[in-house]
Amino acid sequence: MHLPDGLAPVGLAAAGYAGGAALLGLSLARIARLPDPGAAMPRAAMLTAVFFAASAIAVPAPPTTVHPMLAGLMGVMLGWFAVPAIFVGLFLQAVLFGHGGLTTLGLNGLILAPPALVAWATWRALGRRAPTLAAGVAGAGGVVLALAIFAGFVLIGLPAAVDAAAERAALGVFVLAHLPLVVGEGVLVAVVLRVLERVEPGLLPGA
Amino acid sequence: MTSALLPEDPRARLAMALVLAFGFAAVERAQTVPMLLTTAALIAIAAGTPTRTLRKLRGPLVLAAAFLVVMPLVAGPTTLWRAGPLRLRAEGLEAGLLLAGRLLAIVTVTLALLSTLPPHRLAAALRGLGAPALVADLMLLTLRYATEFREEMLRARLARRLRGGRRGWRDVGGHAATLAAALIRGQRRAEAVWTAMRLRGHASTLVAPTSALRPRDVGGVACAVGLALAAVALDRLA
Repeated sequence: MHLPDGLAPVGLAAAGYAGGAALLGLSLARIARLPDPGAAMPRAAMLTAVFFAASAIAVPAPPTTVHPMLAGLMGVMLGWFAVPAIFVGLFLQAVLFGHGGLTTLGLNGLILAPPALVAWATWRALGRRAPTLAAGVAGAGGVVLALAIFAGFVLIGLPAAVDAAAERAALGVFVLAHLPLVVGEGVLVAVVLRVLERVEPGLLPGA
Repeated sequence: MTSALLPEDPRARLAMALVLAFGFAAVERAQTVPMLLTTAALIAIAAGTPTRTLRKLRGPLVLAAAFLVVMPLVAGPTTLWRAGPLRLRAEGLEAGLLLAGRLLAIVTVTLALLSTLPPHRLAAALRGLGAPALVADLMLLTLRYATEFREEMLRARLARRLRGGRRGWRDVGGHAATLAAALIRGQRRAEAVWTAMRLRGHASTLVAPTSALRPRDVGGVACAVGLALAAVALDRLA
């Protein structure tokens, strides 16, 4: 679910870059406070590769495309590292495949990175008491939040002449098309964390 | 791939792509779209990769076609043509042409200038333009692990199928277990690679190009700035 180039007015795209840079700067500052910031690099790069590969499986659904988002998984597994990981993944998709966009890189980062951080916060708050529920909520919630931010950006970015009823109907269809993804990503995060807990607990978030 | 007409330095190429992309995104009238598309096509030809770029444009072309079909049906009050409940509207047609044109021009320029660069040069370009070291490192490692992760996924998927796992997207749990298995194996290898890199003294400052831009690179960026400004001026003044 990316905003393509050309859809967002240039002012909105520039604002997206400013917001994305601020979020990236904040996350890098928090990462720098870690005892060994480089220690999590292999995990971050591996999950960025997963994100990069999964998001490249795109089915056009105007005005955008449908594919796994993995914001919840990235957030739960990487914490603050999810922000640079998402921006790097989006940049690679844009320049290597023309998927997403170079001008909308900031906006697309803002669609996925805050939900990833919210998913991480959810996991940290609930993960010890009810890990499966927390993982499911983090995965599904990540998609729901990303959908909401995406819809907001689309509403701002579309030309004013677009019929309001048609706009609402199109967004409704778009959200409905993503509902299976809400359930799917909730299950995905829950199962991945359960398998990691049984087979390789050292890979669990916070381990 | 090298081009005799475009800058060699990856920093110059990235700067050119960003300047042209934002310049094209600033265009607000459909009448300017032919100029954008012509410029983008000339850059793809200058890069020496028009066929490769065209192949990668399949997804954006579908999206552009959707803009062209949908927008005239939902935007604007001026009816150009009517067939039953369907109305073709002038404002929607213009908006569709604008969105589709901007999309195709920006993606063409991005792919022509950047998709041909080797990954380490792309990371070097980002680092050279001031991106944080962690981001450049993450990009290099991601590209390195992407191939390994793909192989681990294929192995895990084959193992799952041999155990009688179901195909198709409905078996989300099965796919998640496959992903977890690939992550575990891939992670072990990734840790080993990263440790070896650090022991060999890897530092992302080594990645950043230190040489000054050559006249040809500066000329390329200046040309991109000129083209972007010309597109915006033509759009506003016409």
